[in-house]
Amino acid sequence: MLDTALLIRRQDVPVWLSVATYAGGLIFGLCAAALCLVQLGVPANALWQEFVVQTFLTQQGLGQTLTAAIPLVLVSLGAALSMRVRFWNIGIEGQLWLGAMAATWISLHDFGPGPLRLWLMMAAALVAGALWMALPLALKLLWNVSEVISTLLMGSIAFLWVQHLLFGAWRDAATGFPTSTTLDPVERLPLLGWDQLHAGLWIALAAVVVCALLTGVTRLGFYARAVGANRRAALASGLPVLLTVCVFVLGSGALCGLAGAVIVSGTEFRLTQSIGAGYLFSGIVVAYLARSNPLGVLVVAFVLGGIYTAGNVLKVFYGVSEAVVLLAQGIVLMSVLCAQLFGDYRIVTRRRA
Amino acid sequence: MTAGADAPTPVARPGPHEGTGRAPALLLRGIDKAFDGKPALTDAGFRLEWGEVHALVGENGAGKSTIMNIAAAVYAADAGEVVVDGRDVPLKNPADAIAAGIGMVHQHFRLVGRFSVAENVALSLGGAGRKCSVAEAARLVREKAAEIGFRLDPAARIETLSVAEQQRAEILKVLLLGAGILVLDEPTAVLTEDEAQALLSLVKGLAGQGHAVVLITHKLREVAGYCDRITVMRQGRTVLAEAPIASVTMEEVARHAVGETSPAPVRSAAESAGAEVLALKGLSIARAGGGLAVDGLSLSLRAGEILGIAGVGGNGQSELVACLNGLLSVAGGHLDINGVDMTRASIAARRAAGLRVIPADRFDSAMARGLTLAENLAMTEVPTGAYGGAFRLRRGAMRKAAEQAIADREIRGGGPATQAALLSGGNAQKLLLARELAGGARVIVAHSPSRGLDMRAARAVHVALVEAVAQGAACLLVSEELEEVIALSHRITVMNRGALSAPLNAAEATPARLGELMVGHA
Repeated sequence: MLDTALLIRRQDVPVWLSVATYAGGLIFGLCAAALCLVQLGVPANALWQEFVVQTFLTQQGLGQTLTAAIPLVLVSLGAALSMRVRFWNIGIEGQLWLGAMAATWISLHDFGPGPLRLWLMMAAALVAGALWMALPLALKLLWNVSEVISTLLMGSIAFLWVQHLLFGAWRDAATGFPTSTTLDPVERLPLLGWDQLHAGLWIALAAVVVCALLTGVTRLGFYARAVGANRRAALASGLPVLLTVCVFVLGSGALCGLAGAVIVSGTEFRLTQSIGAGYLFSGIVVAYLARSNPLGVLVVAFVLGGIYTAGNVLKVFYGVSEAVVLLAQGIVLMSVLCAQLFGDYRIVTRRRA
Repeated sequence: MTAGADAPTPVARPGPHEGTGRAPALLLRGIDKAFDGKPALTDAGFRLEWGEVHALVGENGAGKSTIMNIAAAVYAADAGEVVVDGRDVPLKNPADAIAAGIGMVHQHFRLVGRFSVAENVALSLGGAGRKCSVAEAARLVREKAAEIGFRLDPAARIETLSVAEQQRAEILKVLLLGAGILVLDEPTAVLTEDEAQALLSLVKGLAGQGHAVVLITHKLREVAGYCDRITVMRQGRTVLAEAPIASVTMEEVARHAVGETSPAPVRSAAESAGAEVLALKGLSIARAGGGLAVDGLSLSLRAGEILGIAGVGGNGQSELVACLNGLLSVAGGHLDINGVDMTRASIAARRAAGLRVIPADRFDSAMARGLTLAENLAMTEVPTGAYGGAFRLRRGAMRKAAEQAIADREIRGGGPATQAALLSGGNAQKLLLARELAGGARVIVAHSPSRGLDMRAARAVHVALVEAVAQGAACLLVSEELEEVIALSHRITVMNRGALSAPLNAAEATPARLGELMVGHA
């Protein structure tokens, strides 16, 4: 009979083991979530059909999955950049709202010539997101104000500002709904012909490449690694810590802002009160699961985009409630995180002599 | 007495060696222990009698702390037996060990900083199933302190106490828990000379009352006068068991501990009066809590010399080193490097001028545990472009440089891609030296560079510093270890309350003279 089971911390975790625990956690989580859904009356073969075939293997499904993944990739890259320098950006949605507002503002006033409009909207969103981040960053650097609190509150302020505009100056006079007027065709990201999929895909991929290069091959990326690992040692070694933190944190805000503009001009074609909801949670989760690696973000965001797509189908066609969809997503996430235990520790069982 | 019901009570001193018929206080036999497959102890043993002070000596990683942590049931042994006072009691967790009367005082005290002494004692007694009020605990503390002969205010908050006082609180706590067997892990490492003497007398007194005491240490010289017997460990094995202290010489012990003849002390090179490379003129540095940590300090350091700054820790040494590094700003005065005013210069500019700092805590302000050996080594040179341009970092070059440094400095325990956290203290220090003493080092500020290292690693550090100085660098050696300062320095000064004494030449700097200056009556 077993008497004791001990957890022994591994001195060194080999790469294959991290991959194996990650994959194991994912598979276990998906199975558990599937069991949960079957228990609630979703037929098992429909799960396969909806989760795999319809979300990843058909043109329409893949288009929807990719469309859902685009803003997710951008906010997750944003979350990953700030995590790299140990700055907790809990204001992802705030910067996203600012980006969405900046893009809408450009479109409402028809700034610039038509062919340049889209570029202007994207640039304005980048700047607005970065600026919204500048205040918490300055507070942190000058007076060590906790960024967890300041970015979170800035998010609430941004949302109130959006509501202020949508119920006031920017309300669509034609319908009376609290949304802005629809964008001109020239202000919309062009469709790529796969369902709703739009050119934001190229923006997201470009952002992944830029972030991967920034973190992987530039000096600044190395500095960020050092700052993340031990800020004081980086400082004492003469590294430009301030510059590094500013670039990564403002970059984080800019990417989240860009996500807002991409949602407005890629899928919604107007500013509404609901476009930013949920991206804070998802962005942090994706960045965490990807361990702040830009290429990892691409993969995880794609998978999560698939789960969202499938979740929507489940809601509409199988009468599964929103709560159950969230539950299923949570199960997958928890099992991936819990599986790390098996990577970090060795489990030894022994019999008493 | 407050001893637990099952705890063996110390008896009036029977004398450690003569057969009293009483079973040994603690007997460990055939102990094996491995961490994640790496053996830490192999067939190790230890025997402790009632009424003795027993020194347990060995290098870092020899297994001293590990075997005592097994006795205290912090770790579980893979094989072997633990017998306490003649009874084979299963010790499954630290609470069992406490109930069996084994009390361990760890290097990092198990005290709640925000609680008072009495509250900490009440907390521990409650945890051991003997609930008592804080007032009662305060009474126990007062009685016990009086009994063993020192003063400690039961109402004082732990975080307001000095390290020595915290240590007393910890010892009191362990005794009040009913410990007949007391294990002290490197108890003198954090103490000044005087405090260490006081502690050792206290320990001797406890043994006189019948307790059994183990002193884990690698400073045998310091404790020798207070010990009855000695056990030496090397690489997880007991190599010299229960030798009466009078029957062994320091050299024998060192040979057993290191496994070869004891290394000769480092001889510092002859003094050569080079150009002045570092000048501090009336330097003042603010203290975090207000006031000045360093007050109007002046010194001059020349190329080719080692200037030792001795002194008891906490007299402004850490602030001075951090300020020279550029981590703390100057409150007043000037700091020149190579004749150029660098009072407000950036850290990068100071490094470019040849300043190198080896801080007391290498993983606090020099290296990162989470980075690889190669990254830690390259960290300071990446901004200079030594490893590629701003947009093209050459990781291959980093790896090659790391392989070279690992071979040159004999860094063991990992390759370029290993995380620095996995290195032992000695090897981590070698890694830091490899980085800081490489090309361009002109002014080396070393703060307690051998702290926590075993004899061999400490010697490697000393040799590296002496070599760097022989090649024309200058070294400011800030250390609380008098022996180290005396062995290496050409001139020695003492830091006391943020100021320096007038430098003494190596010949005049006797331990006694320096000791006077440290106490501050000079």
